[in-house]
Amino acid sequence: MIVYIARRMVTAVFMLLAIAFVTIALFFGASKDPARAMCGKPCPPETRAKVSAYMQTDQSAVWQYTEFVKGLFVGRTYGEGAQQVHCDAPCFGYSFPNRSDVTTLIAERLPVTLSLAFGAAVLCLVVGIGLGALSAIRKGGIVDRFSTGFAMFGLSVPTFLVGLLVLQVFGFMLNALPYSGFVSFSESPTDWAWHLIGPWMVLSFILAAGYIRVTRTQLLNELSADHLVAMTARGASTRQVNRHAVRGVMVPVVAMFALDVTALLGGSVIAEKVFSLHGLGDLLLSGVNESDLSIVVGVTLFSAFLIIVGNLIADLLMPLLDPRIRRA
Amino acid sequence: MPDPVLQVEDLCVSFTSGGVTADVVRDLSVRLDGGRTLAVVGESGSGKTITGRAIMRLLPRGASARGRIVVAGREMLSADERELRRARGSDVAMVFQDSMSALSPYLDIGAHIAQAVRLHDPSVTRRAARARAVEMLDRVGIPEPAGAVRRFPHEFSGGMRQRAVIAMALVNRPALLIADEPTTALDVTVQAQILALLRELQREYGMAMLLISHDFGVVGRAADDVLVLYAGRQAEYGSLRDIFEQPAHPYTAGLRAATPRLDARLDTGGERTRLRAIPGAPTSLRDAGPGCAFAPRCGLADQVGERCVVEAPLPTVRPTSEGGGPHLAACHLDRLPALKEVAR
Repeated sequence: MIVYIARRMVTAVFMLLAIAFVTIALFFGASKDPARAMCGKPCPPETRAKVSAYMQTDQSAVWQYTEFVKGLFVGRTYGEGAQQVHCDAPCFGYSFPNRSDVTTLIAERLPVTLSLAFGAAVLCLVVGIGLGALSAIRKGGIVDRFSTGFAMFGLSVPTFLVGLLVLQVFGFMLNALPYSGFVSFSESPTDWAWHLIGPWMVLSFILAAGYIRVTRTQLLNELSADHLVAMTARGASTRQVNRHAVRGVMVPVVAMFALDVTALLGGSVIAEKVFSLHGLGDLLLSGVNESDLSIVVGVTLFSAFLIIVGNLIADLLMPLLDPRIRRA
Repeated sequence: MPDPVLQVEDLCVSFTSGGVTADVVRDLSVRLDGGRTLAVVGESGSGKTITGRAIMRLLPRGASARGRIVVAGREMLSADERELRRARGSDVAMVFQDSMSALSPYLDIGAHIAQAVRLHDPSVTRRAARARAVEMLDRVGIPEPAGAVRRFPHEFSGGMRQRAVIAMALVNRPALLIADEPTTALDVTVQAQILALLRELQREYGMAMLLISHDFGVVGRAADDVLVLYAGRQAEYGSLRDIFEQPAHPYTAGLRAATPRLDARLDTGGERTRLRAIPGAPTSLRDAGPGCAFAPRCGLADQVGERCVVEAPLPTVRPTSEGGGPHLAACHLDRLPALKEVAR
């Protein structure tokens, strides 16, 4: 088991290094020079070359990559003398437009994204598993038909449309929910939740669809399984049998959840945009708009890191839930 | 006569779906004493499995049973949920056809058996129940039982799994064991071992066994009495010997002729023989007419004429061999011609 975990960790590290290389090569190789945006207007060639050298964007992608990886471990220094800025390890790059290192920017935005992801995850699990289980138990009933339609809708409708609809209906028409802004949890938990209900609804609506489907099919499979009949034949009560059926449902749900929640933690660009929340998704978007490549690379890698960690956790949890996946 | 372990009277099981009701078991009566084995034989859809499930009240949704079922003195059809739970796994246990799907993939073998113990006696500690599991696995001939309790169903071979299922069923020493095609999913040598094991444990525990099978080979090796079902009705009932040697129902005779036998050549005076098939397929239970359900497939119906189509035959007493119990057959013909002719 320990060997297995260690091997997965090493693979994860290499995967991250590869993702970093691809991201850097893509952005530094192909897009316009971020130094140009920084040097202002007018921008004579000499100034631009200076700015470019200061921001270290005049170097090749390979050089950028090695500097980036080095920065992760020992930090990185830009410029010299009075203009010198230092970015401590782990350095994900330095954002000159924001005059801040990317690590700090991510840390600033993380509470918003975390709040968003947490609530959406809880809500989508409750709704998804709840509706899925109810529709499996009363197959063909009203709940089943409703939730099948609901799932279909959730899977096929884009996030921005749901977001705008929620805003329109609850924010403007009913005037029931605030339509933007974020209050931190430590400030006021109720306001925190109140401001996040809209985005939670949107995200969990989209995500719940998958859980409804998986829970429904899996529970239907389990409920008709012979081993549950056999359990009844041993003298188990319906409640005990149902509790055991949940076991089989957990396996795919956990796998799905590990990926969904980490994808959420990486920032949900569209929902954050619609509700004007300044989370990681918004940070990424602003990075793209302002040609702030350090931010783009930093946030992309951070998301990739979370997804890989989520995968790892799922892979470690699975064998605990289903002995058939256990290795000898 | 002692009270029978299992008594079934006028059992009817019907399925309702989409407003249509079909009887899958009709007017079935069975009596089974401790230590005896009754084989229930028939084709797919003849109601064998449903009968077994009805006895444990394990019918699928949409099915309902009427009549009377008494297991070890307990009325099963009128029992409430608590009483049923007490009976299941303790008075009456079941061995399933497919041992892989009968065992939960998430529990190890020991947990299954320990669960059976603790469900019926919560005072037994977990540890003691696991110890019982080890004992039981040893009893059913699983090597290294102490290690085997910690293995999972998918790590066992088919024969081992079936042994584990038997251990699980018998751990509470039930008075009645319902074995639903216990050897069908196994290969022939393992089949023989499992049958021998069941017989041995039956003798040891003195329990009654209802052996559900479609295989006359299995029946011949394990049964004392045989009940032949056709379309949910009792076609013939009698001792193993009577059923094998003087079948009184054309369907029984047809099933016998359709079973491969190692001694086939001797039987026919050295002639080469072919296996016979019963022509046609079981009739749909929904559009069952008033007549004999087997009539459309019966080679002898012509000899009787109209009666087979308009009147369902009732079980009547047939000749028995020495020492045999009652022999009943539901056929309008009083005597069957020789086997060879029946299965044309």
